[in-house]
Amino acid sequence: MSIKKYAVAIRDVIAEEMRSDSSIFVMGEDIGPQGGIFGCTRGLLDEFGENRIIDTPISEAGFTGVGIGAALTGMRPIIEFMYMDFTYEAMDQILNQAAKLRYMYGGKATLPLVIRGQQGIGRGNAGTHSQSVEAFFTHIPGLKVVQPSGARDAAGLLRTAIRDNNPIMFFEHKALYANSEEVPDDTDFSIPFGVADVKREGGDVTIIATSLMVGRALEAADILAKDSIQAEVVDPRTILPLDMDTINASVRKTGRAVVVHEAHKTNGVGAEIASRIMEDSFKYLDAPVTRLGAKACTLPFNLVLENAVVPGVDDIVAAVQNISYR
Amino acid sequence: MASKVIMPKQGLQMTEGTIISWLAKEGDVVEEGKPLFEMETDKLTIEITAPATGTLLKIVREEGDVVPITELIAVIGEAGEDISSLVAAPAAPPQQATSGSVTQRVFASPRARWRSEEAGLDPATLAGSGPEGLIIEKDVLAAIDSRPAATPLARQAAQETGVNLTDIAGSGPRGKVYRRDIVVPVYHTQREDRLIKLSGMRRVISERMRQSLDSAAQAVHRIEVDMSEAVRLRNNLKAAEISVSFNDIILKSVARALLCHPRMNSRLTDGGILELGDVNIGMAVAVNDGLLVPVIRNTDTLSLVKIRGESRRLAEAARTGTLGPDELQGGTFSVSNLGMFELNSFTAIINSPESGILAIGAIKDMAVVVDGEIVSRPMCGLSLTYDHRVIDGAPAAGFLREVKNLLENPYLLI
Repeated sequence: MSIKKYAVAIRDVIAEEMRSDSSIFVMGEDIGPQGGIFGCTRGLLDEFGENRIIDTPISEAGFTGVGIGAALTGMRPIIEFMYMDFTYEAMDQILNQAAKLRYMYGGKATLPLVIRGQQGIGRGNAGTHSQSVEAFFTHIPGLKVVQPSGARDAAGLLRTAIRDNNPIMFFEHKALYANSEEVPDDTDFSIPFGVADVKREGGDVTIIATSLMVGRALEAADILAKDSIQAEVVDPRTILPLDMDTINASVRKTGRAVVVHEAHKTNGVGAEIASRIMEDSFKYLDAPVTRLGAKACTLPFNLVLENAVVPGVDDIVAAVQNISYR
Repeated sequence: MASKVIMPKQGLQMTEGTIISWLAKEGDVVEEGKPLFEMETDKLTIEITAPATGTLLKIVREEGDVVPITELIAVIGEAGEDISSLVAAPAAPPQQATSGSVTQRVFASPRARWRSEEAGLDPATLAGSGPEGLIIEKDVLAAIDSRPAATPLARQAAQETGVNLTDIAGSGPRGKVYRRDIVVPVYHTQREDRLIKLSGMRRVISERMRQSLDSAAQAVHRIEVDMSEAVRLRNNLKAAEISVSFNDIILKSVARALLCHPRMNSRLTDGGILELGDVNIGMAVAVNDGLLVPVIRNTDTLSLVKIRGESRRLAEAARTGTLGPDELQGGTFSVSNLGMFELNSFTAIINSPESGILAIGAIKDMAVVVDGEIVSRPMCGLSLTYDHRVIDGAPAAGFLREVKNLLENPYLLI
């Protein structure tokens, strides 16, 4: 085990995988000499050279298309988006090409492509650089969507993503990069997709949280425990595939569920999770399933306002208390 | 405010009913949910409960009257209340009344309902502590905690006899109430003869049993079934939080066996033996001084879990007198289970015009010989009464062996 920052854990997995598989290369903006603006490719240019660590101009649709073509023809590209907000530039490549090509080639082609990058609040980067955009990629079949909430999960899930023969959308979080956690040194350490992690056990209410919200849910759970409400915190880790077995088992135990994500509440992934809980576990529910997500508002530039738009610890505590009927 | 009592609709096809007898007279105080009058449709005789508590102010329609559904037959209110407008008013517009009593909707969370059902509690008896009085799990758990310790059988007995469990001193450890504490044998102390009037249901039963024995040539086959695999199936399902009874597994097996033996699923008509396309199994349910045989429609097409739901619902409806005539018709074969009385096996009388009835005994651990060894196995005695006019001994035995085979290898039901 080594204690690593989230960003370092990601860089190390990329390097380890590149050492053992020469078909892997990385492409993106400022990933060469600068090592990525968040340091996720720091030092990789020196070790692997310009043919495998490829700096691009601002041309998301272009380099995503290059990645798709390379993946179809035998390479295993990792495409870094400086901000996942910029995937909008490459939507046709991602949703109309990457998501569909394996199907349209009748399963004869593989598409081992990782599209990764950070998103979310935390730096006051304003409306076009602070969004959480994962839900778009869960609506169109053909992609897998990953949201690690800590360094250990980031390392294990990224290795699974790189070794998967399907296009993967890998959503890191800018406000988590500096968080440290123990990460196994094993260069085969991986975490399968579709397996949720119970980050905290409790019997009174289930909080299903993703990415940055996992930490906030755990903080909320500590506060609620003082009020004798024991919250169980479940992190799906991959929202597609989604581990409903673990979520249902928890909700059937507690009878109450709050789903919380940083992305906008309206038509967010929380709506899907809440709906499936009701379809699967209706008879076990003691209260309506509650969703928390960002208000229907463009993310503000101001850091205080930014935090006012997305769910905070207090919001999670209040939502749980509201359905606990104490 | 006075309440109207109307002729209730008891089943889809009912258009009118006959008032057999009033169980209260004008001026009597009646209680909501307690029997008020007895009525008869072309299908059955049934007691109808009072829709409200109060004084029976006026009986509008007399015994023997044939009354269209939803029409006013009596008025309940406060003594001295002016009801002239109600009684003089024209017949109320037809309403969708499905039972004689008006029930108040109970708001309970799905989880509270689930917990109540498991614990055998009626959510309507609980006070809700959730928003707007919603009954939530906590309220059910509190009620379970506060109720006296009793076995499930004792609770059922208490409910059936209307005894309050808190009034009973239990004979078990720490005062736990057993069934024997409630259902004490009642010795017949009365020395005079007693004449019990043939009520509607008693009369129907006595006529139909006589008619069955008069017409059908009834013969009986018996067989012993090793229920080991059925026990395993039930336990495995239980571990997956699906609880089915042995009776449900037997119903499913019988339905499947009937598909291979259509002659068992037939009736003798003037034109000949009519083998029926549908498999609708009737299940005998004992009720107070009577017997009802509600029918599970298309039993062969239902999954085990669906059969469980349907058999529970029908048994409950039979006990509470809320079965509609539609649920008592169309049976093609019947099953009667007296296993709870620890009988090894018994002979049932065919529910005519059907051609067969299967009688189920208790499942008991018995010493049997398997591969030359004496071993203990859960055994169940089945007894098939069949109508020899339509089916002979050998094919009837074939049907019974098929039921045995399915019960001993229940995975064949998949």
